[in-house]
Amino acid sequence: MKKLLIAVTTALTMSAANAEEPDAAAGEALYADSCAQCHGPEGKGMASFPSVAGRDSDYIASRLEQYRDGEKVGSNSGLMIPNAADLSDEDIANLATYISSEFQ
Amino acid sequence: MSPRFATRSAYGIVTLAMITGLSTAAFSSTDTPDLSQETLLSGLEDPWDMAFLPDGTMFFTEKCLGLSVRDADGDVNHLLGMEDSDGYASTADDLMCSGQAGMNGVAIDPDFDDNRYVYVYSASNMSSPITNRVLRLTVNEDFTEVSDRTDIVDDIPFKPEATDHPFGDAGAHNGGRIRFGPEDGYLYVPTGDNHNSELPQSPDSLGGKVLRIDRAGEAAEDNDPPAGFDPRIYTYGHRNVQGLTFHPETNQPIVTEHGPWHSDEVNALVNGGNSGWDPRPNMSGRGDCPDNYCGYEPNQNEGMSPKERAAYMPLTDTTVYPNAMTPAWQNNGLSQGINGTDFLTGEQWRGWDGRMAIGFMGIGFGDTAVGQRINLIDLHETGEAVNDVAEMHVPMGPARFRSLVQGPDGNLYAAVDEGNIYRIIPE
Repeated sequence: MKKLLIAVTTALTMSAANAEEPDAAAGEALYADSCAQCHGPEGKGMASFPSVAGRDSDYIASRLEQYRDGEKVGSNSGLMIPNAADLSDEDIANLATYISSEFQ
Repeated sequence: MSPRFATRSAYGIVTLAMITGLSTAAFSSTDTPDLSQETLLSGLEDPWDMAFLPDGTMFFTEKCLGLSVRDADGDVNHLLGMEDSDGYASTADDLMCSGQAGMNGVAIDPDFDDNRYVYVYSASNMSSPITNRVLRLTVNEDFTEVSDRTDIVDDIPFKPEATDHPFGDAGAHNGGRIRFGPEDGYLYVPTGDNHNSELPQSPDSLGGKVLRIDRAGEAAEDNDPPAGFDPRIYTYGHRNVQGLTFHPETNQPIVTEHGPWHSDEVNALVNGGNSGWDPRPNMSGRGDCPDNYCGYEPNQNEGMSPKERAAYMPLTDTTVYPNAMTPAWQNNGLSQGINGTDFLTGEQWRGWDGRMAIGFMGIGFGDTAVGQRINLIDLHETGEAVNDVAEMHVPMGPARFRSLVQGPDGNLYAAVDEGNIYRIIPE
């Protein structure tokens, strides 16, 4: 019983920590897998795809939430809406943290 | 290896090919070179195209910056800048970029040694509305400056404002690759449809066409478009052609063409031919379309079966245009950002000698894989089919492959949107 209590407490603590502190490394992995092909390895944008450099985390998160909700924002919405559809709140927080801290 | 063994081995391959119905070319693709790479230039801003002199001197464009040249020792001179650019020997403030448009293709005159001419395709706001132009420039002896700008074409349409389409910003579907035909010496100029459904089949507009002109911008004498068409038009009914090369044996021009959420195409061009693109609304079973352009319909913002799309809005509409040029290849029905292309020639490429390299920038829409890669097409001799399609696994990995050019040293050069130009070396 004591072991179970410790396990639950640990899990809750970890969960709370995760919710409070986005994981930039996880954001980096997700960015490389799903974003860099258009926004570029340094976030500067490529071709007609916009730069994400210099954006703060609130901006990135709110845009991704809009796309996840199916809202059209700009001419690349057709690409962004399906890309954002399956993102969790945690994914968005991780991406926003990574992009805003890495691409100044 | 003894000659006898070699003979028997070759016989075995031919026999097997006959039995299975495959060409020997398909087997030769197993004899492929190892590849190494060198980064020729990095930190570039949207490098768009390259053109080489025999000694390895390379002219290159950056979409929003301008024209530069890298000499065989690696030194770079910035020759002609666009508006808001710095560090160029001269600047032309009318040259501007917007979305997909800007300074695109570059080509060197076949008689460069005598006339020092180099050509670029660029958007310009010198006239209103904005157009794309083909500029002829004279390069000085030490490759530090260009002068005597002459706009040999000034009326290629440019998309002036945003519309309700994917990639719908101003400057979209802008074409822009330019190349001289190795046999006829004419300049071929592919253009785009600007998301304007009237352009591809229009006899007057230069949008959605491949032009064929001389170094003064005059129509090639034997261009054979339908009666009433602008005589500079070589082929028409295109959507957005951004890859152009010539068959190494027949010299036939061959283009790559972006598909409408399906079916990127490779087309071997026939003088006067129609590529069969006609995205006008209220025809061929289609109703109204967003901003009068059906070029991504149906469901332009949502993923669906590429086959269903192809039935509704074909890139080559053989129902309406039964004499349309037959595509050699349609990328297995997918659209993934097909772009620059060139033939690999020379024994250094081993089983890939004679294959057409095609770069893909990648588009991840719906359930279609992004698809950033270089394909190697073994084109059928008719130009209307392929014998085999392989993939070149390049050392740098996936990237937005914008321009591919085989250099005078026999290596393949690749410009990627990430900002690099690579030399890919077969060994």
